Amino acid sequence: MPALLEVADLVTAYGKIEALKGVTLEVAEGGITCLLGPNGAGKTTLMYSIAGILKPRRGSIRLRGEELGGCAPHEAVSRGIALVPENRLVFPSMSVIDNLEAGAYRRQGGRTGRGEIDADLQRMFGRFPRLKERSAQLAGTLSGGEQQMLAVARALMSRPKLLLMDEPSLGLAPLVVEEIFRIVSELHRDGTTVFLVEQNAHMALKVAQHFYLMEQGRVSFSGDPGSLAEDEVIRRAYLGSAK
Amino acid sequence: MLADLVQNTLDGLAAGSAYALLAVGFTLIFGVLRRVNLCYGPAIMLGCYAATFVHLSFGAGLLVLALVCVLASVLAGGYVERLCFAPHRKGSGIAAMVASFALWMQLEEVAILALPKHLYPFPALYDGKPIDLAGFTIRVEALVMLGAASVVCAALWWVLYRTRFGIAARAVIDSPLAAELSGISVPRVSMGVFALASAIGGLAGFLVSASFEQVTPMLGMWSTFKGLLAMMLGGLGSLPGAVAGALVLGLVEAHSQWFLGPQLRDLLAFLMLFMLLAIGPRWMTTR
Ligand SMILES: Nc1ncnc2c1ncn2[C@@H]1O[C@H](COP(=O)(O)OP(=O)(O)OP(=O)(O)O)[C@@H](O)[C@H]1O
Ligand SMILES: [Mg+2]
Repeated sequence: MPALLEVADLVTAYGKIEALKGVTLEVAEGGITCLLGPNGAGKTTLMYSIAGILKPRRGSIRLRGEELGGCAPHEAVSRGIALVPENRLVFPSMSVIDNLEAGAYRRQGGRTGRGEIDADLQRMFGRFPRLKERSAQLAGTLSGGEQQMLAVARALMSRPKLLLMDEPSLGLAPLVVEEIFRIVSELHRDGTTVFLVEQNAHMALKVAQHFYLMEQGRVSFSGDPGSLAEDEVIRRAYLGSAK
Repeated sequence: MLADLVQNTLDGLAAGSAYALLAVGFTLIFGVLRRVNLCYGPAIMLGCYAATFVHLSFGAGLLVLALVCVLASVLAGGYVERLCFAPHRKGSGIAAMVASFALWMQLEEVAILALPKHLYPFPALYDGKPIDLAGFTIRVEALVMLGAASVVCAALWWVLYRTRFGIAARAVIDSPLAAELSGISVPRVSMGVFALASAIGGLAGFLVSASFEQVTPMLGMWSTFKGLLAMMLGGLGSLPGAVAGALVLGLVEAHSQWFLGPQLRDLLAFLMLFMLLAIGPRWMTTR
């Protein structure tokens, strides 16, 4: 499969501290690629760099061969990248439906007709029935699982080519985690390309076609699920490789 | 006694309407920037000075003056935003606040240089007779102010809850990071909200100047002070709260002025704020 996203030699720093020290990886079009790694490895930093929130110091980020590095976040959304951020970050004092409208912000008022956006809203409500029941409720009053669903739906409202997800299972009960992964698989079946950050290596390896291990700002392993014993992956994903 | 009470209540609501517009503008700016803009009032004052200038030079009528007030306040507000807030968007809030104080001084100097007398007359909002209604005299200016503020608040609600810009503005107020990730350009939307808030402030300035029938450079400090006080009374950051705080402030002032005299009026306003700070500091931070 051709690569949708190519990250090459990416360096992103907070002040003097380099959180990414030259990251190179690819996300195949139409697939689920997973990024595993211990706390502080730099996974969120990578997601924010791709989404345009953090400006990389060096290296390149290409989407279908076009350079993205350094573009503003709203431009990244226009180019087809949507991030479901760590800790969900829904708009707490806006209703569920307004959260979804905000997700479609780039598409409104332009060439996309209102009808198309309404159709997408209905599709989201079909996929996430609990959001439909709560469409007028303020997002801040939703449960953690519901907020996660909302964050995913909001990201999908921009019709992304590439969906980035940063630890969508964080802090959720096992049943809800399974639902999240079921949704990820469904999105994949419908043709969405997913780049998933996870600490739950067991679940992630079940859905992904390819995975990367990241430790201390560098990619330390890359392979297909099965190319490394699962307990070894889990050990390194949680603890980092022993020195 | 009853007639006084009714008259004072109406006057209080009229003053409260002007405060409400000031407080709503202040709250919008505070919402998108998370910064206190001390120069909010002085920008409005400059807008009113521009209108006074137009009035003195061309003898323009009230509607034109209202338009000049609004436009000039938006321009002055935009200047403040570019100079004080755009450069400090991600940086220190203190730096932005100090910068806005420095611009306050600058705008006051500009006004004084352009129109050096301390006081200039401003045409009256209404110079006819008060209406007589069932034994109560009702000042038409008060009705105009109440009406204008109600229309502006309704229009603002419509913009915030029924338009694409409104979604973006509320998103930026709720979470700038999530707004960026949703494809909303935070700097651009912030600028738009700043302009909207300045326009509302400019209209408030016009109403106040026309009901006092004068402008002085003090209008700047007065506007910042009343807007900030009403916003704080309403619990920082809530628009309905700001309106409620403003009306309460107007009513308390009107009644205390009548029954206790003008010196005690301002004291009472401060006392209310003091009690709020002392008794319920949590009031200020919950939205
Ligand atoms: N705003 C910041 N300022 C300074 N350093 C930061 C900042 N954010 C992250 N870091 C540092 O960058 C490194 C990578 O952080 P990052 O959040 O990307 O890790 P992560 O892999 O997402 O971890 P987790 O699994 O805990 O979410 C860490 O050492 C962290 O301390
Ligand atoms: Mg993280």
